[in-house]
Amino acid sequence: MSDLRVSGLVKRYGKVTALDGLSFEVAAGEFFCLLGPSAAGKTTALRAISGLERLQAGAIRFGGRDITEAPVQGRGIAMIFQTFALYPHLTVRENLAYPLREAGVEAGEIARRVGEVAEKLRIGHTLERKPTTASGGEQQRIAIGRALVRRPQLLLLDEPLTNLDAKLRHDTRAEFKRLHRELGMTMLYATPDELEALSMGQRIGVLRAGRMVQVGTPDELFERPDDSFVAAQVGSPKMNLIEGRSVRDGRRIALPFGELEGGPWAAALAAFPAGTGILFGVRPSDIVPAEGEPRGPRLASEVHLTEPLGDVTVLDLVANGVPLRMVLPEERAVRYREGDHLQVELRLENSHLFALDTGTAIR
Amino acid sequence: MAAQRRPIGEAGWGRTLGAGIVAFVYFFPVLWIILTAFKTYSDALAIPPVWLFTPTLENFVQVFSRSYSAGAEAVATGFDRFFFNSIFIAGSSVLIALVVGTLAAYGFSRFPLRGNDTYLFIILTTRMMPAIVVIIPIFLMFQITGLAGTYLGIILLYAVFNLPFTIWMMKSFFDELSPDVEDAARMDGSSEVRLFFKICLPQVVAGIAATAVFGLILTWNEFLFALLLTGVETRTIPVAMAQTIGGDIGVRWGLLAAIETLFLIPVIVVVFVLQNHLLRGVTFGTIKR
Repeated sequence: MSDLRVSGLVKRYGKVTALDGLSFEVAAGEFFCLLGPSAAGKTTALRAISGLERLQAGAIRFGGRDITEAPVQGRGIAMIFQTFALYPHLTVRENLAYPLREAGVEAGEIARRVGEVAEKLRIGHTLERKPTTASGGEQQRIAIGRALVRRPQLLLLDEPLTNLDAKLRHDTRAEFKRLHRELGMTMLYATPDELEALSMGQRIGVLRAGRMVQVGTPDELFERPDDSFVAAQVGSPKMNLIEGRSVRDGRRIALPFGELEGGPWAAALAAFPAGTGILFGVRPSDIVPAEGEPRGPRLASEVHLTEPLGDVTVLDLVANGVPLRMVLPEERAVRYREGDHLQVELRLENSHLFALDTGTAIR
Repeated sequence: MAAQRRPIGEAGWGRTLGAGIVAFVYFFPVLWIILTAFKTYSDALAIPPVWLFTPTLENFVQVFSRSYSAGAEAVATGFDRFFFNSIFIAGSSVLIALVVGTLAAYGFSRFPLRGNDTYLFIILTTRMMPAIVVIIPIFLMFQITGLAGTYLGIILLYAVFNLPFTIWMMKSFFDELSPDVEDAARMDGSSEVRLFFKICLPQVVAGIAATAVFGLILTWNEFLFALLLTGVETRTIPVAMAQTIGGDIGVRWGLLAAIETLFLIPVIVVVFVLQNHLLRGVTFGTIKR
């Protein structure tokens, strides 16, 4: 089975630690996303798995085989680079044929497989040209083709959409999902973009400073973030995180705009002494204009900025000096103008609580 | 309607004329040499200079005739031999410098040593010394080792002289290559050796061409070392040319100009053939991709 097990990877460049005991597992045939800001260690992790980078510690097992010390060549792993990394001096056909030539595949078979891949990726018309003459989207597909042509068991993708424009990104995301479905290949995809991770990944691992913070399905990460970092990374617009402290044996929390009690975190909070610093998290979609019977705590706010995004509008509110983001369907948001006073209600049952010092979820 | 504009890249008459004048000023000495090559002895010496004259190939015939009569004296020029020497010596030494230098440059670029920059600087310092400073020790070394007057000696010397320049130039070309492309080739199954020949080398062909041209011109024109270290059999054109000056009837300007004209041809041919590569080579790294 071609499953990937990565444990305790450590990579230091001089004084900089890129990987600090990174561990995770990817099941055979899974589309796994590594999500994290730049310099979180995503690229280093992929390069270590591919064999391009030597590690100071840790083990990589792939398909039941320890490949930690195996040479790059012959790991059965292909990678798609952010820069595409096509061979500029070779034609597209030669680019696609290159991995097969190096593997000693005979000419007829090479021609057949290159033709097959070119057709699948709709790059047949570029075959006799140099890759530099192809458009960005074509170059991307050529890079995918070169990775797929030798039928790798594991495909690594290092921010492959960064160099594409917005429209192409959307199309290529769909392309990756289609390829994954058709080929059933294990795919490990690194990206700083949560939208890419949420839309493609079957599971997502959130990386911070060379460590895995949380692994889960998109829903799990969205609904039950283990950490304030994950909460801030996943979801758009970003979750509101408001600093406060616990009061009265940890039953309630004091925030700049008042005290709250009764969230799903209340029981867990009781274990903490009063005065513990906390981060209160509420998603922009869990803040609504107060109407009818109260279902949660209400607070007064002022509309600071409206940001129409098409079918939804993000409203930047200020409640007692604290900035809050709220998201409303466009037709409900039109009645609010910048400077308006607005009574909002919090969906406390969907709120999150994190320890201020460690960022760990309290629940 | 948008205002009428000149097509991009087409300059006005004034600029074209200006560029033409500058080009003519630079080209004039060359033109004068070529004209003189077709003049008779007396036309070449005429003051004021003759502009309209009956061209003659007599000078070119003299270049390649083993002997000719100048007054009562028979003189052998043997320039076919010197042309062969120049081509053979310049070609071989530049080839050696390219092979060794390209490999060294790849090493410096991809497998840096501790103190890499220091080594590179030391290599460069060998070109900082004026040639005249090292000529005496080298002359003595050649005398002792028996390399003086041999092809091997002068070829090795020129190869060594071309090396620092070749290493520096080729290193800058290798530095420009995308490391991702090489990583991709490694993942595609290329060994380090195949990576060099199949991926890196083909990408720096323009750089090799540019380096070769500069090296060839440098070696082709070299005079000082050739004067002291080549023998009768291995003499190169610059030295041979200098030795045609003098004699009983003074400088034979026509003959000298004919030799110079022939001397220019290989350089022009090489630059012409490689001009596209040359342009890409010398602009390499100055244009952000």
